[in-house]
Amino acid sequence: MFKIIKREEPWKWGALVILLGALLFSLAVSALLLVGQGKDVFEGLNILWQGSFGHLWALEGALLKAIPLFLCSLGVAVAFRMQIWNIGAEGQFALGAIGATWMALSFPDLPAVILMPLMFIMAFILGGTWALIPAILKLKLRVNEIISTLMLNYIAILLLDYLVFGVWKDPTSFGFPMTSEFSSNAIIHGIGGSKVHWGLLFCFVVGVGLWAFMRFTRLGYELQASGEGARVAKYAKIRYGMLVMFVMCLSGGFAGWAGCVETSAVLNRLQPSLMVGYGYTAIVVAWLARLEPLNIAFASFLLAALRVGVENLQLELQIPAAYGSILEGLILLSVLAGQFFLTYKLEPKRSQVK
Amino acid sequence: MWEFLIPLLAATVQSGTPILYATLGEMMTEKGGVLNLGVEGMMSVAALAAFWTSLTTGSPWLGFIAGGVAGMGMGALHGFVCISCLGNQVVSGLAITILGLGLTNFFGVPFVGLPAPGFNPFDFPILSQIPVLGEIFFKHDMLVYISFVVPVLFWFFFRRTSLGMHVTATGEMPQAAGAAGLKPRVLRYFAVVGGGFLIGLGGAYLSLAYTHLWTNGLSGGRGWIAVALVIFAFWRPGRAVVGAYLFGGVMAFQLRLQAMGTNLPSSLLLMLPYVLTILVLILSAWRGRRIDAPAALGTNIEPEG
Amino acid sequence: MKKMLKLFVAFAAMALLLSLVACGEAPQEKKAEEPAVEKAEAPKEESKNIKAGFVYVSPVGDAGYSYAHDLGRKAVDALDYTTTAFVESVPEGADSERVIRNMARKGFDIIFTTSFGYMDPTIKVAKEFPEVDFMHCSGFKKAENVNNYFGRIYQSRYLTGMVSGAMTKTNKLGYVAAFPIPEVIRGINAFALGAREVNPDAEIRVVWTKTWYDPALEKDAAKSLLDAGCDVIAQHQDSPAPQEAAQEAGAYSVGYNSDMSSFAPKAHLTSAIWNWGPMYVKMIEQVKNGTWKGDQSMWWSMQDGVVDIAPMGPMVPEDVKAKVNARKAELKSGKDTIFAGPIKNQKGEVVIAEGTTAPDGDLLGMTWFVEGVVGTTE
Repeated sequence: MFKIIKREEPWKWGALVILLGALLFSLAVSALLLVGQGKDVFEGLNILWQGSFGHLWALEGALLKAIPLFLCSLGVAVAFRMQIWNIGAEGQFALGAIGATWMALSFPDLPAVILMPLMFIMAFILGGTWALIPAILKLKLRVNEIISTLMLNYIAILLLDYLVFGVWKDPTSFGFPMTSEFSSNAIIHGIGGSKVHWGLLFCFVVGVGLWAFMRFTRLGYELQASGEGARVAKYAKIRYGMLVMFVMCLSGGFAGWAGCVETSAVLNRLQPSLMVGYGYTAIVVAWLARLEPLNIAFASFLLAALRVGVENLQLELQIPAAYGSILEGLILLSVLAGQFFLTYKLEPKRSQVK
Repeated sequence: MWEFLIPLLAATVQSGTPILYATLGEMMTEKGGVLNLGVEGMMSVAALAAFWTSLTTGSPWLGFIAGGVAGMGMGALHGFVCISCLGNQVVSGLAITILGLGLTNFFGVPFVGLPAPGFNPFDFPILSQIPVLGEIFFKHDMLVYISFVVPVLFWFFFRRTSLGMHVTATGEMPQAAGAAGLKPRVLRYFAVVGGGFLIGLGGAYLSLAYTHLWTNGLSGGRGWIAVALVIFAFWRPGRAVVGAYLFGGVMAFQLRLQAMGTNLPSSLLLMLPYVLTILVLILSAWRGRRIDAPAALGTNIEPEG
Repeated sequence: MKKMLKLFVAFAAMALLLSLVACGEAPQEKKAEEPAVEKAEAPKEESKNIKAGFVYVSPVGDAGYSYAHDLGRKAVDALDYTTTAFVESVPEGADSERVIRNMARKGFDIIFTTSFGYMDPTIKVAKEFPEVDFMHCSGFKKAENVNNYFGRIYQSRYLTGMVSGAMTKTNKLGYVAAFPIPEVIRGINAFALGAREVNPDAEIRVVWTKTWYDPALEKDAAKSLLDAGCDVIAQHQDSPAPQEAAQEAGAYSVGYNSDMSSFAPKAHLTSAIWNWGPMYVKMIEQVKNGTWKGDQSMWWSMQDGVVDIAPMGPMVPEDVKAKVNARKAELKSGKDTIFAGPIKNQKGEVVIAEGTTAPDGDLLGMTWFVEGVVGTTE
């Protein structure tokens, strides 16, 4: 019926076309779900749009959600590039939050100029360590990192619970599991009068920093250029092991920063409701963005806006919350399937003229 | 001492059963060379499908089969993306999980809190009279008894049937298998869909036997445990049984510790199953054996020209 | 070159967004264009139509906590001058803040935020929307336009404890509980006090699942309690799984949130249930008449009709039923002596002195177990 031919060079604008195609396809399929629920498709799509992009406050909401997503995705991308499947961004996010909280609670009166960097440093250290554990297990014992990072996610959340129900519980919180509110020095404030906080700038700095690292340093360039760790290591004259550890540390550190930012700027304290699954969505974002920092900025905003738009759908049309997950899953699957066309094309099998 | 141990072991068998089905399903898929991280989503969808079928038809057996079929469907989707479209297997699996959980929670809304006909425990004739062993193994529901047989069938299929050996060959060296006249892609589809069936059965167990309800989050992370256990089991069904029961046992154990009035914080106790999984993986590697993963696991088969 | 272009676009977009955002929000007239799925909108207090919004932390169909709130919403919806809407499965934290703010923006007159973790977000949003009334459930903060409210479900727990204490033969009662927060601990304590009033030898064992909602784990937890010798299983969880476990083992069970007898007809003694409808309607009427007042902590009781117990099952003997109903009548008339001293904690120390009753503040922050409860509060 069809012949599969490998392209001589990858389809140039293919990635964008596939992404758009995937979006349309997923929206179409999920629109069918709306029909199934008895809702008007166009009204639904309009509400989705309005909720994501139609108002300033929608954009604001999307930006706020995009910030931690962006940082986590950067971390995931860095690891995935080396084919190290770090599924543990969620747990690393939690450890980063724990690290930041630790500093905020221990030194509430330090001036912000000192306290803030301290929080970020500790968040990076704890998040990076949490990622380093599976890295070492992989290197020394060949333990599959997919499983180890995943298990550490569960453990990290339970650790957070343990701290917040126990030693860190706010004495004035009537027994509810939350830490005391952070002092003003430990809170990242909003820019101007808005709700969007300086974490946005931080994202920008980190994103550009990573991009520059990948572009201008030897190590970064090799990381960017290939997907196979061992080859990269040979070029950069670093042992494969050190490279893995470095990459995972970075990966966990970024996710840890996301946790720090979210705890400080949005929640202003540590509580279990911090965990909303950014670490998992980050994997979707990173993949859609083909693991590149710039694209990740767009992709994280897109997915954040989608989440916010789906909420609007819930409010206006009483669609169940799981609708968003269906969309996300469909988009990712169709992008994956579509990426086939980046390397191959189909030609109808006619006579064997070639 | 026995009063504590015997009910614990019996609970272990029950707790380990869905994990066993899922582990064997994943094992089948992986033996064909496809990594499937979508088990969690597949179990979820299967649980809902099984529940709905049992509720509408009144037959738990149809529900059980329906769960398997749902697993097959999701497996086929994963197969399409990875085998035909050459998508990255890790990411595809994750997408299946996200999609599966989303579909489940979306369609399941009207069914929460409804009871459906399911499987109930009964004493297996004769065998349940055996002291100790009878208590532990033979006072469960039908699906548990079936799960005793499945590993044997699995072993027989892979070791004694040509189809099974072909699947194994595909998982090890797809190019060579192709050269030898087999159809590696078709065999991979078989592995993914067949494995999906077993995974679906595991999901069906959750809503038809383990509880007779369906609710959000029924799979509770068991899908991920199954993926880990395949590695622990060195891709062999016998060890899968050990792994599944070990895991089920830890979950049951920490609850019983609490029920007995321990002073250990429950958060730490709840970590036990996950810590155990990591330990299990470490120990597997520690024994020095090379992990006998199918050589082509995780890689895609390029189409020929 | 393509990279530079992308970089430039990104930078420009970022700068644009930043400047838009920093200049403050657009004026409120944007509200008008959203598609009105429900009936008309119209401005605030004088409106004939009251718009009530509800935010839930879990799916409505959970036959549990959110389900009970939603029944209350339906009661409000049934009035002919109201429109209601709800958003479910909203995670606490930043997401909830956005959802609540959205509702306020869309001109809702009164918003019910039904989970503890919505507390800070509710207060934050309330500050920005002083003309909107907010009702936050199970928290402790309030403001000029925010009331916190809850129900004295512990009263129901007490009664269910009485039934359980009377029906147990092993004197061991099992409690499957989610998280060690005050409302759960308080419920366990009330249950224990009720049980030990009719049966001083009763012992209550607690297993924490650390989840509101994992039926398989809850069933396991119930089974572990059954294996430890408990013959009545109570729960502070949202799924009926523990009820099933009890019935399978031939034991008794006590449900929560709604009448769970359909899941375990042979085991189900009674349930501690919520009935938010009447009070929700009362709040709406106050909003309509302009008599709604903020800055209050409202803790509705059996007298207000907000909490109750499900009808007791046929296995409960008449004399037990009579005793329980007598106590129920007392509670309904407003006489609540459940936490009246002397009450000892697990270590045997007297925490509530003889002749005193624990004030609401102490109850709201309760983190210790009474004598007779086996288990930790962590």
